[in-house]
Formats: sequence, C-alpha cells, structure tokens
Amino acid sequence: MKDVIIIKNLEKSFGEVKAIQDISFNVKAGELFAFLGINGAGKSTTINIICGQLKKDNGHVEVNGMNIEENLDSIKKVLGVVFQSSLLDDGLNVYDNLESRAALYDITGRDFKNRLSELNDLLHIENLLKRKVGKLSGGERRRIDIARALLHKPKILILDEPTTGLDPKTRKLIWSVIDDLIKKQNMTVFLTTHYMEEASNANFVVIIDSGKIVASATPLELKEKYANDYISLYNISEEEVKKVNIPYQKTNNGYRISIENTEIATNLILKYPNLFKDYEISKGNMDDVFLNITGKNLSEM
Amino acid sequence: MKSFLIFTKRNIKLFFHDKGMFLTSLITPMILLVLYATFLGNVYRDNFMNALPNEIDIPSKIFDSLVGGQLVSSILAVSCVTVAFCTNFLMVQDKSNKTIKDILISPKKPYLIAFSYYLGSFVATLLICFAALIISFAYLAIIGWYFTFIDALLLIVDIFLLVLFGTALSSIINLFLNTQGQMSAVGTIVSAGYGFICGAYMPLSSFDSNVKNVFLFLPGTYGTSLVRNHSLNGAVNELTKYNVPESAIITIKDSLDCNLYFFDYHVSIEIMYIVLILSIIVLLAIYVILTCLLKDKIFKSK
Repeated sequence: MKDVIIIKNLEKSFGEVKAIQDISFNVKAGELFAFLGINGAGKSTTINIICGQLKKDNGHVEVNGMNIEENLDSIKKVLGVVFQSSLLDDGLNVYDNLESRAALYDITGRDFKNRLSELNDLLHIENLLKRKVGKLSGGERRRIDIARALLHKPKILILDEPTTGLDPKTRKLIWSVIDDLIKKQNMTVFLTTHYMEEASNANFVVIIDSGKIVASATPLELKEKYANDYISLYNISEEEVKKVNIPYQKTNNGYRISIENTEIATNLILKYPNLFKDYEISKGNMDDVFLNITGKNLSEM
Repeated sequence: MKSFLIFTKRNIKLFFHDKGMFLTSLITPMILLVLYATFLGNVYRDNFMNALPNEIDIPSKIFDSLVGGQLVSSILAVSCVTVAFCTNFLMVQDKSNKTIKDILISPKKPYLIAFSYYLGSFVATLLICFAALIISFAYLAIIGWYFTFIDALLLIVDIFLLVLFGTALSSIINLFLNTQGQMSAVGTIVSAGYGFICGAYMPLSSFDSNVKNVFLFLPGTYGTSLVRNHSLNGAVNELTKYNVPESAIITIKDSLDCNLYFFDYHVSIEIMYIVLILSIIVLLAIYVILTCLLKDKIFKSK
C-alpha cells in the first residue's frame, strides 16, 4: 500500500520547549492509523503541521505525494479534520454551517445539496439540519463535525480524539461511520484517542511521549512486546494463590497474576491443577502497552 | 464568487443572530440623538441666533432645522465609524473561539476570508447606519425639512462612503486583536475619541489652529464635513431667502465645518470626496497587504 503521509525527522520548538523532536513515521493509504500520547506529548502539534496550520522547524512532511511547503493548498483539498472540540458556529443552524464551510471548497448550489444528501445517507443528519449547532447534544455535534470534515470528499480524515466525552452508544455509532469510510471508501484515517480499545482496532500505532516516538508497530506486535498476559483466579483463598509463587494482585472477586505468555499459563495449570478450577486467561491490552512504554496511564490523563 | 458570497452571508447572519450586539449597535446612535437634542440643542440654537443679525426675523423652524441638521450630521458621521467597530467583531471572535482553525483548514486564501469579514461587516454597518439615517430624516421632517432631493441623495452617498471607510479602518485594527476584551477596549476608545478628532462632537473651528491643522490630515474629517454640508445645505440656503448677509452665512458654514480650510486652502466638496475615496482605497489596500504578509500571525487562534 502507498504511503499517503510521510513524516521524516520532524522538529518543532516553541521557544525553549521542544514540542517535536526528530520524529519519523509513515501512514499507509486506507489504513486506520492511531497516534497516541498524553496531553502535551506533541500529537496536536504534529497534526497542526500536517494540516499546514503550524510551520515546522525542520524535517520533511509529505501528504498524498505532495510536499507541504510547495503544495499546501492542494494538500488541504485532500485533508478532512475533525478537531478535538467542535469549531462550528453555535449561533447558526446545521445547514447554514455546512453550507458556509462547503463554500470554502467552492461546493455550492446543486453540488452542495447532492453532497449533503450523500452525507445524510452516511450520518443520518437530515433531522438536525434546521437545528442550531449550539443546541445539539455532544453526539449530534460530533456527527455534524464529521459531516463538515467530509464535505469535500477528502482522502485522509484526521480525527483528533473524536469520541472523547461521548456516551458508549454514540461512540459505537461514530465508529461504525469510521469503519464504513475505511472499508467502503478506502479512506485513510489518522486517529488520536484516549480510548485504548479504539487504538487496538488500528492497523498501525505510533506512541509519542515528550515529543519523541517511543514505540511504533501494529497493536498485536505492541501487545506481544510490551503487555503481559493475565490469569484471573476466582473462588480461591490468598494462601492458595501464594503457592504459585508469582506476584499477584487482589481484584474485586479474586486474584490476578501477571505472566509473560500463555505457555507459562499452561505450565502453571499443569503444575497446580487444584488451584485452576475457576479461572480465565486474558491477553494484555493497549492500556498495559501504553503504561509499560511511557510509565503513564493514558486513561487518567 | 458564489462561494465568497455564501461565506459573507455566514458573517452577516452571525452578526444579526447576536441580538444584543445588533441592538447595541442600533440603539447607540438613537441614544446619542436623544442626548444631543436634550442637552445640546439649546446651546446650538443660541449659537445660530447669535451669529445672525438681530434685525432679521427668521422663522423658528429654520433654526430648528439647523440645530437638527447639526445634531444628525454629528451622529451619522460618528456612527458610520463606531458602529463598524461594533459589527466587525466576527474576525476577532473567530480567533478567540478558534473557529478560524476550521476556516483556514480549507484551501481558501486568507485574503479572501479577510475580505469576506470586511464585506459582512460593511453590510451590517450600512444597514444600521441607513436605519439611523431614516430615523434622522424622520426627526428632521418633524422639526423642519429643507432637504433638496440632491442633498438627500448625496447624504446617502456620504453615509455609504463613510461606512466603507469605517469598516476598512476597523478591519485593519481588528487584524491585530485576538480577544473580545481587546476588542471592547478598542471599541470604547474609538467611540470616545473618534467623534472629537473628526470634528463631529465639536467642530474643528472651535479648536486651536495647531490641533485643527493636525486633524485636517485625517480623512475622517472630510467625511464629517461632507455629511455636515449635505445635512445643513437646505436650511442654510433657506436663510438667504430672508436676506441674511453672505458674510453671516459664511461665518455659520465656517463655524459648522461645512467649509474646511487646509491651512489657507479652501477644500471644495469635490476634493473632500476625492480624499475620502482615496483613503478608502488606501485602507483597503493596507488591509489586503497586511492579510497577505502577516497571515500566519494575525490569523492564529489564541
């Protein structure tokens, strides 16, 4: 697959603060790319540079085969951005908001109405068109933000924490839309999120900390490398758990022991069959990956 | 062009959506008119009566019209600029609430966005100033109407040009503002100061000659004088029917800044229009150039 975003040795400082320190990564066409980091790690700075809203100090940024310094206007035509917080006009209704933003891409009249109809099929926004953006719920606003980002049929969609603060039902809806965009329209999605289970759906993950890339791989590779498996034991006393001779953690309804891999789990079960009557083995998740790499818990940031 | 107009429509709609902002902009000229008529009307009236020979009997309605014309011209000349500072809030608001990020993520050139702010503010200011003009006409019709059709038409042209001027001036200044607080502060300073330096609150003729000469370098002064001329022409001409000496009429016109003297040179109405139009062109050129040169600094959301 072709690389649609190429970042090489990117650097950006604000005075003495080095926000981005020599980072390099590629994003492939049609993939879901997750860019993870705590607040202030450098995610938004990187996104702002890719979108041309911030000038880089050093390095090379290429989007859809175009250099950002030479073809910024053309790059803007292939980028759609959903910002962390909605930047639409609260005082106008949804239709007026979308009409004015579409005009920025010279989409007017019949073309706008046709595109609005397509977006309605995707996001079911028809009943929201006459309502003021300021009066919409968080989930409805997000759908409109996504509609705004898709107005000009971008090839790359940048989602900056798109589901933060949304209820589970709306998050599910937003994700079904994103899945559709990737699968049916082969859109590239560049995602930043605080929800690790969302990052685990990505094709590729880059973790950034203090302006530097600290890990990059597929979610599976990251989990294998940085996250332990767990055995949860139920209906067992603490005295019995101590017999396993592995550090354990008390949970609400039992004990949890951390193991490097499932092979060790198998050996333990064979060695202590009486202890393993009610148990489950779970793979390490992206929260563990993040915690082990950065020493920081993303969900608490 | 169509996309530019749609985006400008957004700017106008946002201004009229903010009912508080709209009413404040509209009500300011009206409050000024009431305050002027209540507290300064008699002072102006006495000045006119003192300037004319005692032996000539002039109908009270003409004095009323002169006083009304002076009040109305002061308010209209100031409003075209101060209202523009009120209506031109959107560019600053878009920066302070970061909406500008969502706008500049598009490939539209920043100077077109800037020009759209200008046009939106111009239309809103023009609507408010024309509303003020209609109320002013109604007020003058009640107290004494001596307007000719040409003077009324030229007064409309004066308002149109002064609004273009005021909007261009406010657009340039607002480029450097990033918060609503900064904008309010500038609006207050302009509201308080502009009326004096353009000769609206007090005619330049009442200033020290050095101060007067400095103010004559400011193009707003000529806009005020145009509004004064076309608001008062009818009533002043009416005086001639009562055999008021030419010298007394010149004295009245001088005292009202209908006649302006750039040092010793009498500035004609045509020159006043040329100065005003040229200043609009220069201000707009500065606005576009600043937008192009400083786009990374002035359009950065805070």
